Amino acid sequence: MTGAAQDIEEILLTRDQIAARVVELGGEISREYAGRAPLLISVLKGAVYFLTDLSRAIDIPLAVDFMAISSYSTARAQSGVVRLIKDLDVEITGRHVLLVEDIIDTGLTAGYLLRLLQARSPASLQICTLLDRPRRRILEALPIAYRGFEIPDRFVVGYGLDYRERYRHLPFIGVLRETVLGEAEPAAEQQ
Amino acid sequence: MKASRGSATDTVRFAHRSEAEFAKILDFYGIRWEYEPRSFPLEWDDGGRVIESFNPDFYLPEFDLYIELTTLKQSLVTRKNRKVRRLRELYPGINIKIFYGRDFRQLLLKYGFGSTAAAR
Repeated sequence: MTGAAQDIEEILLTRDQIAARVVELGGEISREYAGRAPLLISVLKGAVYFLTDLSRAIDIPLAVDFMAISSYSTARAQSGVVRLIKDLDVEITGRHVLLVEDIIDTGLTAGYLLRLLQARSPASLQICTLLDRPRRRILEALPIAYRGFEIPDRFVVGYGLDYRERYRHLPFIGVLRETVLGEAEPAAEQQ
Repeated sequence: MKASRGSATDTVRFAHRSEAEFAKILDFYGIRWEYEPRSFPLEWDDGGRVIESFNPDFYLPEFDLYIELTTLKQSLVTRKNRKVRRLRELYPGINIKIFYGRDFRQLLLKYGFGSTAAAR
């Protein structure tokens, strides 16, 4: 491995494994949302890679939109609370919304987004997540309808997932070396 | 009992820095929490006096969930595991989750802390 990939201790999911699972998820969504033209909503930036591949694996009419929220690493210096820094461009009232996430971990971010979206009265609201790491789950009752892979409690990067804004571009999902995590500057939120 | 509730910016006195950071994360997401609100007796002597109890670090009322943050030291983890097992036996209706040192360290890394912040 070269470059950023040198910081990877182990490849957890290869490019091929991810691609195959995304196609399967796309097929399931195509069948179950047939006739409902889902709106796929993703949160910048981590889930963008997954969303673009997933949307191309879905063969029914759909729309996509994006949101962005403030990160804890920025807000904690100001004792802040999470806030929306980029809202959706479209109305979701009465629409079938699928929140597309790269990873569900504690569920806190997803829970916040669900509350936000639910208040706008969509016709339905479910989650599609590429990765599910349930070990640290705080919010258990999340409507996860589609799940790519359940992963162990390792710090993973690649395919959109970052550490200090690095490694998103890696085509696989890998475990970051402890030596890299040991470097002690504030890290970017993994989302 | 030293129960406290509210937000981390209040005057809650946390036993460890990691608990304060965890409270701030909950505050960030608007999750209500209480700090050590309840003591669960685990063992009694022959006279019925409580000789061992367990105070989970946090209670999240919206989710009816207790959370215990553990240390990176294995000896303390073993002791807490035993307490949590006993708590589950005696109070089967109580929903409790342990965040082990590794879990919590990675959680802090995710939320932007350096690797040493999780040490307690």
